[in-house]
Formats: sequence, structure tokens, C-alpha cells
Amino acid sequence: MVDAVRYVEASIVVLIVGSLVSLLFARRRKLCGWVSFAFVCASSVYTGLAVVGGCKGASGEHTILQLPQLGSRLTLRVDPLSAIFLAIVALIALLSTLYSVRYMEHYAHDKVAKFFPVLLLCVASMTGVLVCTDFLFFLIFWESMTLTSYFLVTFESENAASQRAGLKYFIITHGATLCMVAAALLLWRTSGSFHFDAIRQTLSALLNTRPFLAHSIIFLFFLGFATKAGILPMGDWLPDAHPVAPSGMSATLSGALVKLGIYGLVRLFCSFLVVSPSLRMWGIILALAGTGSLFVGNLTALRQTDTKRLMAFSTIGQIGYICLGLGVGAYCLPMYPALASIALAGAILHAVNHACFKSCLFLGAGSVLYRTGQRDMDKLGGLAGFMPYTTGTTTIASLSIAGVPPFNGFASKWLIIAGCVLAGMRFPLFLVLGLIALFISLATLASFLTVLGSVFLGKADPDIRTREVPISMIVPQVVLAALCVLLGIFPQLMLRFVGHAVADVTGITAAGVDASRIWGGLFLIDGSPVAFWSPLAMLAALAILALLSYAIQRAGGAQVRSVPVWYCGEEHAPATVRYPASSFYLPFKHAFQGIYPSGKVHVPRFPAPLRRALDFDQWLYVPAVRAMDAAADRVSRTHVGIPQIYLLWIVVGAIVVTGILLWVKG
Amino acid sequence: MTAWLMRSFLLCLLNAALALVLSPLCEGIMRKLRAAIHSRIGPPITQPYWDLFKLLGKEDLRSAGGVVYASLPAFTLGSVLLLAALIPMGTAAPLAFAGDMIVVLYVAAMSGILVMLVGFASASPYASIGSSREMMMLLSVEPILAIALVVGAFKARTLALGGIVNWQVQNGPSISMAIGGVAFFLALQALAGKLPFDIAEADQEIMGGPLVEQSGPRLALFRWAMWTKQLVLAFLLVEVFFPWPRLGIHQLDLLMTSVKVLVVLVLVAVIDVVNPRLRIDQAMGYFLRVAFSSLAALAFAVIGK
Repeated sequence: MVDAVRYVEASIVVLIVGSLVSLLFARRRKLCGWVSFAFVCASSVYTGLAVVGGCKGASGEHTILQLPQLGSRLTLRVDPLSAIFLAIVALIALLSTLYSVRYMEHYAHDKVAKFFPVLLLCVASMTGVLVCTDFLFFLIFWESMTLTSYFLVTFESENAASQRAGLKYFIITHGATLCMVAAALLLWRTSGSFHFDAIRQTLSALLNTRPFLAHSIIFLFFLGFATKAGILPMGDWLPDAHPVAPSGMSATLSGALVKLGIYGLVRLFCSFLVVSPSLRMWGIILALAGTGSLFVGNLTALRQTDTKRLMAFSTIGQIGYICLGLGVGAYCLPMYPALASIALAGAILHAVNHACFKSCLFLGAGSVLYRTGQRDMDKLGGLAGFMPYTTGTTTIASLSIAGVPPFNGFASKWLIIAGCVLAGMRFPLFLVLGLIALFISLATLASFLTVLGSVFLGKADPDIRTREVPISMIVPQVVLAALCVLLGIFPQLMLRFVGHAVADVTGITAAGVDASRIWGGLFLIDGSPVAFWSPLAMLAALAILALLSYAIQRAGGAQVRSVPVWYCGEEHAPATVRYPASSFYLPFKHAFQGIYPSGKVHVPRFPAPLRRALDFDQWLYVPAVRAMDAAADRVSRTHVGIPQIYLLWIVVGAIVVTGILLWVKG
Repeated sequence: MTAWLMRSFLLCLLNAALALVLSPLCEGIMRKLRAAIHSRIGPPITQPYWDLFKLLGKEDLRSAGGVVYASLPAFTLGSVLLLAALIPMGTAAPLAFAGDMIVVLYVAAMSGILVMLVGFASASPYASIGSSREMMMLLSVEPILAIALVVGAFKARTLALGGIVNWQVQNGPSISMAIGGVAFFLALQALAGKLPFDIAEADQEIMGGPLVEQSGPRLALFRWAMWTKQLVLAFLLVEVFFPWPRLGIHQLDLLMTSVKVLVVLVLVAVIDVVNPRLRIDQAMGYFLRVAFSSLAALAFAVIGK
């Protein structure tokens, strides 16, 4: 079983080599992209092999480097939990690199040398974070992931908005990293080791002996991971950073990178914290943070008119769902293991599903941006006729994120909400949280209907000339949309692996989710079967009933005729009567105004004397140059070109020299 | 296995056929009642059947193309019939093994979503306004439905609708379920698209809202879907919140349930006749208050009442 680790190492090495090689081809845009894609392909194959090896049970550990003085060693290991997240990272990295090959033509002024090599390094560090079992190296990988993603967010050097968003990202995430460093050092001081196992033991010992310190450490870790995951209020960097990054990077950020925060939270709360009563309190905190995040995130998404900003806010919202599931799971872990396994499976499944549909949505928004140069929904409309594939994939992804059955978003939301309601039968707070989650799922639908309604559906202006994006950009979108459908109809495929991961990481054996039948449905078991979802039966019934309805529709043999839209007898250009995105659901938006206060980051200002002292131009160079200039001016005034004046100077000079000589002699 | 599958399949079709056949009849009775309150004679009770019959043969005018646009009416009616197969209507639901209460909530919203999509796709500004209003109504009404059903799930300790109904039958009336039932009834008025909440369609104002561009057989399917939906939801209300008395004789129980459903629909029709249309913000405020009041049902359920 050591093989799984070897594959991951190979994958990381391939990515680092690929990053260097693609740098060699940086002059030629497309070639650089294809070379990077080839390396990402190879690394994804290795990661895929590692995932296959690691998804059933943990692999052996492999130590690469020993630092006994620090009590640290670079040890890698693949277990079922990291295998699931590795699969997400590999898939999203592969598809967004393929997408970016052509997409990067969009940025004519910036070199791709700043993009592909850094993207590969970013993927390598994400892979490293997932397999590391030592906190020192975990933090090193984590930091390199943060730095590389910072460079990718600020890719557009001429764009002030992207620089500002990057600065915000840099400051907030480094604050978070600092919290994690502090927590790791506090633990290291007690145990003298950075290894995960040692940390787990130290933490459980501290919880008994020094509970205040232990809870502070947990809180610091929570802050660090929650910031990366984008849980409000720490996730404030997210809605600024996502829209300004190149779309391939937005998809990677939202699909893979923020998931690592979730990975950290799962590790922290399900694996590091032994099953103890304090876990219940942290479960409630997590669930409340998640609910707040999903409420504010999704309702703020509703108010956006910029496609990518809308999707960024909705990422905050969906991460809220995952966090809610984690919270319910953590709460139930000590007492109701079956319920805990339901909620945790829902949370991890939602992380996988979110990677599929949100990346698909970002790539769709990128395709629209690539062809029209527009992110503002008020200025777009009727693209369905020009971009059929992008429209189709975005529609599927939108319905998935809104949780319309039988797409994949529904399966995971169903697990999370069912987990909430079932846990709510023991602790009624979760009932309310589950109801909020249900309500917000409709608000998500509303915000993505805005995207569909205003960008793709309706009539286009007659003077619009645009077409579908190239095939290398369509393929990633289609693959992700197909996954949304497949994982929606067969959630069991993924749930089996998720079940392994939950059992492995928490050590509970009670199975709350019965996903054994591939053709039958899902059962939730809480003593007896209490909840059912059978996508295949539902889909078959819907198909038959829809066919029946279609038969009724055609029964009369009615003629079909295409007609123009009826504007009450007047003629209008489509653009003048279009219902703009900013007008959708206005009364509803008014009701939720100002639930998201956002601060703007200004460039830090130095104190005035220091600034003056550092400004050499002001007090050194400019005065010196001015003085030289003036001196030269004076000298040149003597050279006027008239012989008499020169003679006069000679006479005056002779008198002065004679005078001096006489004075010296005398 | 095959026999069992065939049986649930046939039951599913039977349920769908019954819902399809009965729903225009209920609409006819509601129209007759409205006419009576207006002191008119009104159309015959069979009029909705004739309406559908005539619409199915009329020309199908389309303002947008595409396979998806063409298939939306069939999926709308199909999703309502799917809802009918998930809900116990007199007997156990044929698809009860495939979906619980949460699935029912999402499937109930599906027809609304498809109608909104048709509105946006038909490119008419009136349809877009109607779809936007439909979404806001859905946002205000679905939470009430969810709260009412979650109360049932909390009391019965299961998410299966059949289980909730059985629990209700065995344990008799309770304060929490009564409050939940009333809240559900208030929401039903909006889900059926009746005054004072027919804001999305608002014929006199935006000419049918999302359906302004629909004609002929497409309009027939959407109409039919709406009528079927109100019937199915009335069944859900009666079965989950007011299932008593159960006599144990199957036919008699079915008859009793049907009579209760008719009473509910008559009440809906009466409220429809005597009210003017609200503005969307007024309706949202109203349902917000209803939603918060129905949280009381949850509170009662938690203390065991």
C-alpha cells in the first residue's frame, strides 16, 4: 500500500518539473498552455492512481526528510479523506488548465509566464497540503499555496481592482496563517513534535488538563481554516478575489482551493478532537457559523449583477452548507454516531458536488467573458442562440447548485437537511437551522435564475455577433456538467467512498447512510429507515409522466408556428424592453438590504516624517540637480560670443592675477 | 422484484390519471361557486374540460425555439404528476419508497421553477416580470410549507410522509399540528395561484405573467398542471394534518378524504372571490408574519403539545 504515496510524490514532482518546463515556452502562449496541460495530465494520472489506492483504506507513511532537532519530519500519507479531496484537486486542476489554454488569449497585455507555471505550483502545493501528516510541512505547503494563488489572483497587472483584491486576500489569509502558526507552536511547545498523531494526543491531554489553552488552540485553527474556506466574516476576501482572477483560476479557487479549508476543518474536528463533550459545543459553533454564512452569502449573491461576483458570494453560501453539515456531524459524534455519519457524509459529498457545479459555473461565466468581454448581466441577453453548449452546461450547473432533483446538488443538500432535521429531534436548534438551509436553497435558485434569465434566455440584440467558444473550452464545461448529472442520479458511487472516509477519520462504525444498492435508492437509518431518496426511480417516473404529458400535448395535432414576441401591438427593439438583472426580485432584495457590510482595504499609509525621510527625490536628488543646473547656467552666461567681452575678461583677469601675485609677494 | 416494480408503476400511472381527470372537475366546481357568489349562473361544471379540449386543438404559437423550450410544458405537467405519485392520496403513495418529505418539498417547487424558466425563455418583458414575481411568491410560501411538514416529521420521528400520516392517525389532534395545518392552508391559497395572491399571473395587469406567450396545447398543459397542483396539495394538507376519523373501511375513508379535499378547495375559492389582489410587497410581508407565527407550531411540538 506504499504505492499510493509514491504516486502522489510522482504527481508533485511532475507538477514542479512541468512548472519549470512551461516557463521555457513562455514566449508562445498556446504552446506554453499545452505543455502545462500535458504535465497536469500526467500528474492527474498519478494522483488518480493514488486516489484509487487510498480511497479504501489509509496507505502506509513515507518519510522523506527528518528534522529531529525540531521534532518534525516530512511524512506523506494518503487516507480515504485526503483521497477524496485529492480527486477534487486533480480533476479541477486538469479541467481548468485545459480551459485556460485558449482562455488566456483574453489577456493580451499580460504574459502567460505569470500564469501557467504558477498555476502548476499552486496545484502541487494543494496536493502537498492534502497528503502531509506533519504540521510544519503542512504549513509550508499551505503558505506556498496561498502565495501562488495570490500571484494568480493579481495576474492582471494593469487592473487596479485586481491588485486591490489581491492585497485584501494577502492580508486576510496571512492573518489566518499566523493564527495557525501560533496554534501549531503552542502545541509544539507542549509536545515537542509537529506530527499529526502527536498533536492529536497532546490536544486530547490538554483538553483535560488545561481546557482554556486547548480551546484557544482549537479556536486559532478554526480561524485559520475557516478563513481559507470562506466562512463569513473571515471569508471577506472571497467575493473580491474570485471575480478578478482569470476564470480558470476562479474555478480552481472555488472548486479546489477553498475546499482545503473544509479538509482542515474535517481533520481538526473529526480526527484531532477525540470524541469528547467539548465537541458538542464546537459543533454548535460550526453549525451557527455555517448557517450565518449560507444565509448572508446566498442572499447577497441575489443582489449582484456581476456574474462572477454573484458566483463568488454563492461559494460563501455553499461553503456555509458544508460547514452546517460538519457542525451537525461534530455535535452528534459523541452521542449519535449514525446521525453524525449522515451529516458528515452530506458535508463531504457537498464539497465534491460543489467542486463540480461551481467550477462549471465559473467556466461558463468565463466563456461569456471571453466572447463578449462582459461580466455585467444588465448588458447581456439572449446568448442561448449563439452559445448553445455554454448555455446547456450553465443551466445544468445552475439547477444543480439550486438543489433541483435529480441533479447532484440535491443529493448532498438532502443529506445535510435530513441530518439537521433528525438531529433537531434531539436538539431543536438544528430544526431551525435546517429550515433556514431549505429556504436559502430557494434563494440560490433565484440568484441563478437571474443568471439564466438575463444572460442566456430571452432575445439578443440584432447587432450582436458572437459565437460558441473553442472546443478546448467546451470540453471542461461539458465534463463537469455530465458529472453533475451522473453524481445526481448515482450519488451512491461517491457516497461509498465518502462513507469510507467518514468511518476512517472519525472511527465510528455505525452507518446512517445506506448506499449499498446502486439501482435502488438511498436510505437514512436512525434506528429504523426514516428518509428515502431514490433518484433513478424518480427520474424514470418523471420521464414516463412527461412523455405522457407530451402525448396529451400532441393529441390534438395542433400546428406549430413561430411568431415574434407580442409587445401589445407596438414594435420594440429587444434591448429597450429587456427586463434587466438588477430589476429581478426588487421588493425581495430591498427586504434584505445591507446584510453584508464590506470594508474596503486601503494601501497602508506611513507616518508623514518617515515618508518624507524616505523620499530621496524630494530632499536629495532634485535639489542637487537644480543646483548643478543653476551653476551651469551662470557659467554659460559668461560665454556670449562677443570678442570685446572676452578681451575685457582677459584684462580683468590679468589685473586680478597681478593683484594676487603682488599681495602674495608683499 | 419485477412484479413489485410493475405494481408501483401501474399505481403511479393510476394516481396520475385520477389526478388529471379530477382536477378540472374541482376547478369547475370552484368556478360555479364563484359565479354563485357573484349572483351569476356561471359556466357548467364541465367547462374546464371543454376549455382544455379546445386549447389542445388550437394553433401552437411560439416566440422562442429550441428543444428545451418545446419540452417545458410536458415536464411541468410531468413534475406535478410526479408530486401526485409521492403524496398519499387516500392510500399509501405509490412512490413513497423513492422520496421523503424533503423530496416532496423540492418536487413541489419544481413546477414553479419550470414555469419561471418558460417565462424567461419566452422573451416577453411581461413574462419576465411574472417569473420574477413567481419566484418571490415561492420564496415567501415554501418556508411555511417546510415548517408545517417539519413539525409533522418532528412529532412522528421520521421524514417519510406515510409515517407522519400514520402517526397523526394514531395519536389524534395536537396543538402544533393544528397550527401547522392552518399555516399550510394559508400557503395553499398562494400555491394555487388564487386571489389575493395571483400576483404572478395577474391577468388584468401583466396578462398572465409567465404564460403570456403560451397558447394552444402548451397553455392547456400549464393550466392543467396548475389545477392538478392545487388538488394534490389539498390532498397533502388533508392527509397530513386532518386525517381523522379513520374508520378502517378503505372505500369509506377514501370518500371522506375526497369530501374534505373538496371542502378545502371550496374554502380556497371563497377566499378567492371576496378578496382583491395584494401587491407583491404586501403579500411578502403577510407571509413573513405567517411564517414566524407558524414557528409557534415548532415550539409547541418541542414541548410535546
